[in-house]
Amino acid sequence: MNKRILAIVGGVVGLALIVLLAISIAGETEVDASIGYGDPVVTGQTLPVYNSAAAEDVAVGMPGPEVVGADWEDNEVTITADGRPKIVLFLAHWCPHCQNEVPPVQAWLDAGNLPDDVDLYSVATSTDRLRPNWPPQDWLEEEGWTVPVIMDDQIGTVAGSFGMAGTPFYVVLDGDNNVVRRISGEIGTAGLAILVQEAQAAG
Amino acid sequence: MSPESVDLYNTFLAILALLSLAASVGLLVYRFARGREAALSLLGDSAVWLAWLVAAVATGGSLIYSEVIHFIPCRLCWYQRIAMYPLAIVLLVGAIRREVVVRYYALPLSLGGALISIWHYLTQTFPSLEGGACDPTNPCSAKYVNVFDFVSIPFMAGAGFIVISVLLAFYVRTERE
Repeated sequence: MNKRILAIVGGVVGLALIVLLAISIAGETEVDASIGYGDPVVTGQTLPVYNSAAAEDVAVGMPGPEVVGADWEDNEVTITADGRPKIVLFLAHWCPHCQNEVPPVQAWLDAGNLPDDVDLYSVATSTDRLRPNWPPQDWLEEEGWTVPVIMDDQIGTVAGSFGMAGTPFYVVLDGDNNVVRRISGEIGTAGLAILVQEAQAAG
Repeated sequence: MSPESVDLYNTFLAILALLSLAASVGLLVYRFARGREAALSLLGDSAVWLAWLVAAVATGGSLIYSEVIHFIPCRLCWYQRIAMYPLAIVLLVGAIRREVVVRYYALPLSLGGALISIWHYLTQTFPSLEGGACDPTNPCSAKYVNVFDFVSIPFMAGAGFIVISVLLAFYVRTERE
């Protein structure tokens, strides 16, 4: 009786695996590998990788890279020395911290909390179709994300140029595109409000 | 594998995991309701074979995830693999040789693996346990699989470790018996 139970259990599991394998071989569909990626152009020097454990961020005061990119609808989005202070938020679709950060930030924006003299940009980076919540554009559209988005490329050129070490990642730039502050992790709307003040102070 | 196949595969393994947990509960209830001798008689030598089957399916399943579907194991995934993969070999040898002493070699692995799985599951549920930011290379807080909104890969691994532990702890004779 015991061996019969074992044989039945083993047989059912084995049969199910064979059926699954057959289905997977028969049902291959092509996935567009370009979904979720852009082709941004980055100029200027690359910032050092952000080190949250360091007492001071060595990148503060350094000129940030300039980026010409586009969102998933090919609308051009640029980060340049345009005389306006700005905050750049790097997001990864699969990152639980980014998933926690986006809704309150969007609600904060919807409430009109971003002042007129500070710009907010976002970069969809570290995109990976094998990771959860892919593609990033579907996620951001579902969240009603209104922040201009630059789609990073497959090797994360934009993120790398700003020294991103983890997501979410905020970079505050003054009007001349110099780094005012960098911070990694969930900071919530309270933290974002502080970054906005720092951006305004830097001018 | 196509995304649809991956979904089917995930669902299949999730159901196996839930059945394993249900079986663990049933086996524990039976053991404490009917006593040790009744428990030992229920499965006999098959207990070690069943434990091996669970370890083998878990090992094969995890290899399919990394080598076929190309999920990348995070640090905690590797620790669980370190616990599960040797079980597939040790339990097979123990079952073939009918050596009940195998429970003493396997139980530390299955219990340790279960603890790691629980921690990994908590890290996915409360990402702040891993820190405030995601490591872009491969965070353990990311859920590659999320069937029925709660069955993830560490859940499945944990279910495997638990049923193996229950079988070895309560359904295999000690050396002295």
